[in-house]
Amino acid sequence: MSAKRGTHEQLSGGPLGDGLSSLIAAAHELKAPLALMRQLSLTIEAGELSVGESRRMLRQISLTSERALRLTSDLTRSARLDDAMFALEPINPHQLCEDIVHELTPLFAAHGRDVRLMPRKHPLLLVANRDLLRRIIMNFGDNALHYAKDDSVVEIQIRALNEGKIIRLGVRDYGPALSTDLWRSLQTKLVTAPQPVHARPQSSGLGLYIASQFADAMHGTIGVIRHHDGATFYVDLHASQQLSWL
Amino acid sequence: MSQPMVLIVEDDAWLAEQQVRILTKAGFSATTSPHPIAAIKAIDTAHPDAIVLDVLLTGSTAFALMHELQSYGDTGGIPIIICTNLASELSLDNLRPYGVRRILDKTTMLPDDVVAAVRSVL
Repeated sequence: MSAKRGTHEQLSGGPLGDGLSSLIAAAHELKAPLALMRQLSLTIEAGELSVGESRRMLRQISLTSERALRLTSDLTRSARLDDAMFALEPINPHQLCEDIVHELTPLFAAHGRDVRLMPRKHPLLLVANRDLLRRIIMNFGDNALHYAKDDSVVEIQIRALNEGKIIRLGVRDYGPALSTDLWRSLQTKLVTAPQPVHARPQSSGLGLYIASQFADAMHGTIGVIRHHDGATFYVDLHASQQLSWL
Repeated sequence: MSQPMVLIVEDDAWLAEQQVRILTKAGFSATTSPHPIAAIKAIDTAHPDAIVLDVLLTGSTAFALMHELQSYGDTGGIPIIICTNLASELSLDNLRPYGVRRILDKTTMLPDDVVAAVRSVL
């Protein structure tokens, strides 16, 4: 009985502690990659493909499963934000973003797109938790992949703001301009709990909501800038003072 | 006789590619659009005989596109097949006025179901 009650309490709280809606949103978010993997594997199973086509589909299954696993991993990490200790440390964002570009490049290449880190002259240090910051940028990268035009480049940008007190890491995509409705919807999704998909067209906003929680845990904020040819999703974090001591 | 043309409105490029492959193999011509704005342009140029339409799309939903198509005499009659992960939450009876003739559930359909659905509406 107690085990059942415990399960019920977890469901009522939702993985993000904001109600059952987050569980439903998570289920909806996972439907798309699972349905795609199923279609691809059924096609391979039918055995009517060339070796090259089969290899390509197997690669697509691998990359799609990795994206889905990132979401599940972010969900479990998000659920433990309250009771876990997150060490904040000085981090070189350029090095971190180079690693992320290296990790995302195969996924982007498979979609006919490119991802690159924009060069900077002066090194910067920020205060963050390496794992959470990596998850935020990976999340923005996945989002940009979805919105970016074919053959376009997604840029990861690092900038110092507010006289160097704030460091902004942005992921810029080049795609269709955001409509005013979508813009308003995104502004809401950045700060509110995810909703079941039927109530919120396009997506539940779960990924963005998780990213905002991770940013909160590091005393940072996330936001989005609308361009005429795409958007920049960014996270603002406090700069480390260590460089100024040198 | 020319092959029937099917427009696939799907923002997942790999799923769209998969459906093009299956429909082409079955003897149809197929083209894709990743979002409703591109779909409207494609409808003007490709004059599709049927549309396979996802519901959750980048920038807008299928419902906005269906409203737009119903606004014009020459596009209002194009049969629409909804292909979505949200099939269990949709009612074909409610969507018939928007030109929807079939609903495919992405989570349970077989790859060839899209061919059967297109054949059934032409």
